[in-house]
Amino acid sequence: MALINVAAREIHCKIVYYGPGMCGKTTNLQYIHSQVPKDVKGDLLSIATETERTLFFDFLPLDLGKVRGFQTRFHLYTVPGQVLYERTRVAVLNGSDGVVFVADSNKNKMQENVNSLKELAQNVTRQNKKFAEFPIVIQYNKRDLPREVLASVQTMDHFLGVTKMNWPRVEAVATTGTGVFETLRAISRAVISKL
Amino acid sequence: MDPQLTSIIVPTEELGQIEECLVRLVEDTGSDYALLLDKSGQVICSKGDGDRQDITALGALIAGVFASSREVAKLLRERDFRASFQQGVRENIFIALIEEQWILCIIFNKGTHIGLVKVLTKKATDELASVLERVRQQHKARDEVLGSSFRTSMEDTIDLLFRD
Repeated sequence: MALINVAAREIHCKIVYYGPGMCGKTTNLQYIHSQVPKDVKGDLLSIATETERTLFFDFLPLDLGKVRGFQTRFHLYTVPGQVLYERTRVAVLNGSDGVVFVADSNKNKMQENVNSLKELAQNVTRQNKKFAEFPIVIQYNKRDLPREVLASVQTMDHFLGVTKMNWPRVEAVATTGTGVFETLRAISRAVISKL
Repeated sequence: MDPQLTSIIVPTEELGQIEECLVRLVEDTGSDYALLLDKSGQVICSKGDGDRQDITALGALIAGVFASSREVAKLLRERDFRASFQQGVRENIFIALIEEQWILCIIFNKGTHIGLVKVLTKKATDELASVLERVRQQHKARDEVLGSSFRTSMEDTIDLLFRD
């Protein structure tokens, strides 16, 4: 639900990082927060449990400055990944303009990735949006995992149906920042093209 | 290009009416602050004492609380909780929903009675609902703002700011 405030000359967009538990959604936001210039970012707000797992969401406002006279702001959110927080994810997803789906490249996490993506499709559809047309970028995170447990890109494409859906796909290691900004650029462009 | 029909565009005239409504609400109730949010957490307008620096975070959190309470409502087979009240030692917050789309939030201290806030908020939400109805009719304004040159400039900005 992009908001365009003509009088105040502001545009706001909401981007949500979605994916199974421990896939690296919060790490993506933390890296972005650590790298963007001070005048671009607001405080990173995290509602987490004592063990640092996301309880409700993380929130990072980014101010891109004036574009053609319009102050443009992107608000980045993460959802809690654990299965039990399904309803919380619905709440955070409310009014989003685009989603980064962060998939875990661990072979043993493939079913969790698939379940989470299916749930995302349901939740987007429930908000009366067409899932096939909704801006989505897929990030294959943790590409630095040992070879024994690392799923190949082809395997992940197959399981997640990425090729069929024609989603942009980025390989990443969020802990070191690899692919994090490429993902952010891809989703930002996708959102802007659908405004 | 297939624009999302759900983009909300608030034109100058409507924003003026929203501002007027919030200023009146703050004055008549003696509240500290009034905020109008989109359900996605974005602040459409805020009025009150001083210049709050935390307004963006406040908007995201309040919308989160409201979206969360909506899910609670569903579990109770309730359509929505239309309003909620949070009571602190010094500050209180009253939140009311406007047509499933906007959220009106009033921050007030113990000098203001909750009953007055409830009554005047109801009046304000009715007024804002009719503004929202007009805002929903706006299509022309979007084309004026989001031309192809805007999108190109936007992409350049994204590449510049979000680089590795």
